[in-house]
Amino acid sequence: MVLLQVLINGLFLGGVYVLISLGLTLIFGVIRVINFAHGEILMISMYLSYFCFSTLALNPYVSLVIVLPVMFIAGVLIDQVIIRPLRNAPSYMQIFATVGLSVVLINLALALFSGDYRSINMAFSREILHIGPISLSYARMIVFVAAIGVAWLLYLFLNRTDLGKQIRAIAQDRDAVRLMGIDPNKLYLITFGLGCALVGLAGGLILPLYYVFPSVGAYFVLTAFVVVVLGGLGNMMGALIGGLIIGMIDSLSGYYIDPALKEMIYFIVFLLVLIFRPSGLMGVAGAEEMGLK
Amino acid sequence: MMAASYFKNLGKPEIYFPSLIFMSVLALVIFIHNAFYLDLLFMIFVFAGLSGAWNIIGGYAGQISLGHAAFYGVGAYTTAVLFAKFGLPPILGIWVSMGAAAVLAIIIGYPCLRLKGPFFTLATLAVAEVLQLLAVYMRSLTEGSEGLSIPYQPSWMNLIFESKNSYGLMAFGYMLLVLVISLILERSKLGFQLTALREEDQAAESLGVDTSRAKIKALILSAVLTAIGAVMVSQYVLFLEPHSDFSVNLSVQFALLPMVGGLGSAVGPLIGAAILVPLGNFLRSWVGGSVQGLHYIIYGCILIVVVMFMPHGIKTLVERKYHALLLRLPRFGSDGSVPADKTQLQKVSFSASSTTHHTAAPPLPLLEVSNLGKNFVGLKVLSDISFQVHPGEIVGIIGPNGAGKTTLFNILCGIHPPSSGSVHFCGASITRMGKVHQICRQGMGRTHQIVKPFGSMSVQDNVIVGAFCHEVSYAKARERALDALNLAGLTGKKDQPANALTLADMKRLEVARALATRPRLLLLDEVMAGLNANEIEAAIQLVRNIQGAGITVMVVEHVMHAIMSVSERILVIAQGEKIMEGRPDEVIADQRVIKAYLGEGFELT
Repeated sequence: MVLLQVLINGLFLGGVYVLISLGLTLIFGVIRVINFAHGEILMISMYLSYFCFSTLALNPYVSLVIVLPVMFIAGVLIDQVIIRPLRNAPSYMQIFATVGLSVVLINLALALFSGDYRSINMAFSREILHIGPISLSYARMIVFVAAIGVAWLLYLFLNRTDLGKQIRAIAQDRDAVRLMGIDPNKLYLITFGLGCALVGLAGGLILPLYYVFPSVGAYFVLTAFVVVVLGGLGNMMGALIGGLIIGMIDSLSGYYIDPALKEMIYFIVFLLVLIFRPSGLMGVAGAEEMGLK
Repeated sequence: MMAASYFKNLGKPEIYFPSLIFMSVLALVIFIHNAFYLDLLFMIFVFAGLSGAWNIIGGYAGQISLGHAAFYGVGAYTTAVLFAKFGLPPILGIWVSMGAAAVLAIIIGYPCLRLKGPFFTLATLAVAEVLQLLAVYMRSLTEGSEGLSIPYQPSWMNLIFESKNSYGLMAFGYMLLVLVISLILERSKLGFQLTALREEDQAAESLGVDTSRAKIKALILSAVLTAIGAVMVSQYVLFLEPHSDFSVNLSVQFALLPMVGGLGSAVGPLIGAAILVPLGNFLRSWVGGSVQGLHYIIYGCILIVVVMFMPHGIKTLVERKYHALLLRLPRFGSDGSVPADKTQLQKVSFSASSTTHHTAAPPLPLLEVSNLGKNFVGLKVLSDISFQVHPGEIVGIIGPNGAGKTTLFNILCGIHPPSSGSVHFCGASITRMGKVHQICRQGMGRTHQIVKPFGSMSVQDNVIVGAFCHEVSYAKARERALDALNLAGLTGKKDQPANALTLADMKRLEVARALATRPRLLLLDEVMAGLNANEIEAAIQLVRNIQGAGITVMVVEHVMHAIMSVSERILVIAQGEKIMEGRPDEVIADQRVIKAYLGEGFELT
């Protein structure tokens, strides 16, 4: 029974990781940029949601109406101001630019909001559903359901809509897309905006569960890096499965080994993946850096 | 001997001016007694050294590490724990730190540096984070989050001094060590290989560079140097704490200084440190009290601005002024030494195949391909290809686009393994020889259809990368490169940057680089495509000269009159199969070839 509870906890935790990783892997798959400021986008969306709660008394689930569009616009701005001029530059320059942005955002948050750990006091986040000996947190269940739902919607969007098909096309070949009369820049900015809105959704949904502080993003994004490499860089299905697996590993190693060492275990998984299957679980072997899948 | 030539050239501004700067900085360290300025100097020197160490892997090799704090923290903690808990003097402990950093470098480098893409960057970031957690966790050794105090016991054995001047001298020595190692690296085989793989790793592989190995070597060197600097800082601060000594901010700082100063150059990190360390200190002491993290906000902004508007760093601004200044400085003493290579150029004799590095004399034939087939996931690209190439021949390969010509070359030089059949080169199976760089070392040279110059390097340096395939010393490699440049007709352009060449010259550069690896068999993949008539004539002559130098050549080409006039034998490939093999005149007359490739009414003009 304990094992079942641990597994369910892991699955729900995996939902958090999935939600955070989807945007990261989408952006990498299409734009070929690892957004090292991804965690800081999460941090900003958590703060935004937090202040909506503390000043406007908006429920975090309601304030998503504000958070999602704001994060989409933030993503578009980052893409147009910082990434666009470096579109054809060597990849290390894009790394430096997003790292610079990450450093600025963390320390800006530190300067503005101080290093205090804040959380919203919401009765809902403590409510628990009991099924026999198993207890399920409603807030975590929402995250899990949202993660599965968003992954599914994203799949439909990329495969069924024209815009989605264009985005998949540009992930394969930028020049060919231009020859088809499609403006690559438009697709890139939509993708970046979408990636940031996705992590904004994650930020809003996990606020009832976690503290927010300036470096909260760094904590989550490292796990997200492991998730996307495990699933296969740029692979949507991989992010889903990878996120759930890492959630399980997190929960199991936290319970059976030592909570302080669970990151250590991820990292060993990460290195093992790089040694034996660098293309990830869902990637094509031999093609470590694939486009959007 | 080096010292003697140093004093002989002391009259030249390019020698005495840096020496004067060196002396005056040294004088500053010795004679200043103001604690504030000594502290600042110490930090500048140490960070110049640390970021110089980062620059070896991040700048020269272009592998961005965002977790060098891992090497820093491991270096600092190893010596400190051994000293504080077990009483081992840091002068010995520092060696253990260096060893620990090297081991960590192998653990990270082996899985990640074989891969392209962002894996290495992600892994370094993660390692630093995990080690931070581990340092918090292992309280019995590290005192966890509370931090580890290092006992203040001044002694040179402990690398702890009463006078800040001694610390300054130690840090100055460290900076100098990293600078000298970087300068040596720039002239060494490893340095050339790193720059080459940064620019075009596939081309580097086909010039005999073991790119994974070179990157791992660079990471180990970088990690060991980082550990030395870390020990010096911790013996100065006498306190270690996981959240700062393994922090991402620290790692970013190591990367920031070379980026701002000038990535991949020995002086870049020094310039970066000289500007940013005082700026950081200033911001922290004057403004930092009121606004937390302000100096990091400014660091981050500087990083973004430099990347976007000054990707080559401040070095490029300073460099021109520096050279202008050198020209205006007086020159002392006689100045008779003229570079000696001008005279050498005229009397070069290119002797590629007569070299001694190849073991036994190759048995005939040089290359034997039997029943070769290649499928890419169900798509049949080559099937049942058999042919031989004998020493000294020029063999042409023609066929329509998509016939599989480039795939054939890619199999011959080891990029793709064959699906069936075998390829024997010099009597040995190429699948047993191993990877691309190993096959190159056995004497298989190639050029690329789509040119892949190492853009930022000079033409000569491009060719030196190839020459290092079999040479160890810079002087020898340069000599060989000059021979190859001469044969390829690029001598006059040897000092231009490679990406400034015309297409024809870039193709010549491909040939020169491959020649410098001392090939026995040279695969030329469409070296004449896109060239004008005169350039094609020159290229034909070049192929003949290569044959004259004793090198066997295989040519893939669409320029018919060129391939007809230059080849002794021609293979015709269509749809992955060999449809004809024979002398040029036989090939032109053959009905199958006319149908598959040449077309009716083809006449050689």
